[in-house]
Amino acid sequence: MDGLVLSIWLLRLLFLALLYAFLWAVVRVLLRDLRAAAREPGSELGRLFVVASPGGEPAEGSAFSLDAVTTLGRDVNNTIVIDDEFASGTHAVLTFRGRTWYVEDLGSTNGTYLNGAAVDGIAPAAFGDELQLGNVRLRLERSRR
Amino acid sequence: MMLPTGRRFRPRARRRELGLLAVAAVTLLAGAFSLDATRRLSPVVIAGVEGTAGGPNVGAALGVYLAALVAAHFVLVAAGRRTDQILLPTVGLLGGISLLLMVRLPQGLAGGLGLGTTQLVWLVGSIAIITAVSALARNDAWLRRYKYTWAAFGIGLLLLTFILGREVNGQRLTLAIGPLAGQPSELLKVILVVFLAGYLSENRTLLVEQSTRLGPLHLPPLPYLAPMVAMWAIALSIVVIQRDLGAALLFFAVFLLLLYIATGRASFVVLGLMAFIAAGAVLYEVVPHVRTRVDIWIDPFASASGAGYQVVQALHAFGRGGILGTGLGAGLPAVGGLPPGGIPALHTDFPLAALGEELGLIGVLAILGLYLVVIERGLRIAASAADDFRAILAAGLSLVIGVQAFIIAAGNLKLIPLTGITLPFISYGGSSLLTNGLVVGLLIALSDRGAELPAPSPPARGLRGLLDRGAA
Repeated sequence: MDGLVLSIWLLRLLFLALLYAFLWAVVRVLLRDLRAAAREPGSELGRLFVVASPGGEPAEGSAFSLDAVTTLGRDVNNTIVIDDEFASGTHAVLTFRGRTWYVEDLGSTNGTYLNGAAVDGIAPAAFGDELQLGNVRLRLERSRR
Repeated sequence: MMLPTGRRFRPRARRRELGLLAVAAVTLLAGAFSLDATRRLSPVVIAGVEGTAGGPNVGAALGVYLAALVAAHFVLVAAGRRTDQILLPTVGLLGGISLLLMVRLPQGLAGGLGLGTTQLVWLVGSIAIITAVSALARNDAWLRRYKYTWAAFGIGLLLLTFILGREVNGQRLTLAIGPLAGQPSELLKVILVVFLAGYLSENRTLLVEQSTRLGPLHLPPLPYLAPMVAMWAIALSIVVIQRDLGAALLFFAVFLLLLYIATGRASFVVLGLMAFIAAGAVLYEVVPHVRTRVDIWIDPFASASGAGYQVVQALHAFGRGGILGTGLGAGLPAVGGLPPGGIPALHTDFPLAALGEELGLIGVLAILGLYLVVIERGLRIAASAADDFRAILAAGLSLVIGVQAFIIAAGNLKLIPLTGITLPFISYGGSSLLTNGLVVGLLIALSDRGAELPAPSPPARGLRGLLDRGAA
């Protein structure tokens, strides 16, 4: 086999090998990303981001990691304490039931609002929805896995 | 590339992207050398094909293409967003492989400039769209607010094609307005995903919660599914009337996948598949076009020199390729039946068969691997999205590319009946390249975790509001 044919044959194989070199480099990055994501606390079901809070408690711009049941209100025994003059002691509860989040108003004086509509009893909430308790506005977000 | 005024210029290095682009560039250069050497050694094969001459120089075309990729990289660095760094190199490699294929096919297929040069122009345009969208699209409110407007725009576009469209090969797919011509069904797939993402994210909780049971199956609450099914049916019927079966299959598969992603209910998918089988059986009986396709799929050798010619030639091409392939430039890729043994419509429908011949099983697996990378990336972006709209949008966009690649690859391999649809980033065609560029650009923009969420829209008034409150 003369040299030209051999070198062409090697070039062919080199191209195929380089295709796999690219794939390998990409897969390494993907694996690193996956491992990094797995190390983060992955058990949270969602997050509650504080959009506006005139009273400063909870702090504006902070976010809460949510468990399956989260109570909200002015009373210190709530999961998330809302220090606002228009919030009731036990104001509302957020629950995750299998597939979706639900907001329930616990008979608060000034009501709980979901995207600007008053929650009458219990209502399903989607990620991206905005809750309002008194003057405090909170946004339900997906946990970032 | 201009930056939005009032924002500070704060570049951010993208080392992974640069590294991967370097590997992709080296790979493509090796491919160009291999192609060039093969063509010098055996001009006989090439000489047998009329009109091969006049294609652009392989090295020059690749040089322009790589320069465009590097420029895209630096624009993204200048934009300074923390976005995905994998998609651009991956898609760039696919486009480069396409260029290596197009520069030496018979150039007469694509009008004035020739096939290779035209494809180069569209590829650079596609990279420009990826760059512009991923650098500038920071807010997604313009997509999520106006989903019905987008849907109406898409339907209008299709109806316009149906009335004014130009007929090519018995399919009325091309819409020409003045000097501009394009295939609206390519753009429609993006519009469909945007509409489904908007609609499903808004009604996801209701679709999950209020299902009516029919035996073991959960039926979706009908009032909520009606606009979606109507949208799907209109798109589908027009597409079937236009005989664009590939697009119909793509739309339906993406519709079912997104419904499953949004609700997590397998029974919706089962229902959809049952509807699909029923529709397929009816179409097989009623539409001759469909019956031909299925008959070819079952036994292409029964009409090997007639209707089944394309498929048989594709299978031969895969067979000639074997495991390692014949090498770039050493296959018999021909379009329009030249020379004997070539595959008709190779540059649009059968690029995978040509690559299967020249790169072999190993090469085809690598190319399918690149599509898998795009899907994996898209689904990761979906999983880390901040809200439902972005999650469903990202999943839908990556699945559009993945499902489309699957439909045409499986069609080439006689795994499913062949439907004419493009192989993303590899097939020849401006509409396909530009819209897929839009899809990837949106995916990269969506991967930005720092991007702000728009405030939720106020409760709907009027008829929509009444509907919402009545059903809640």
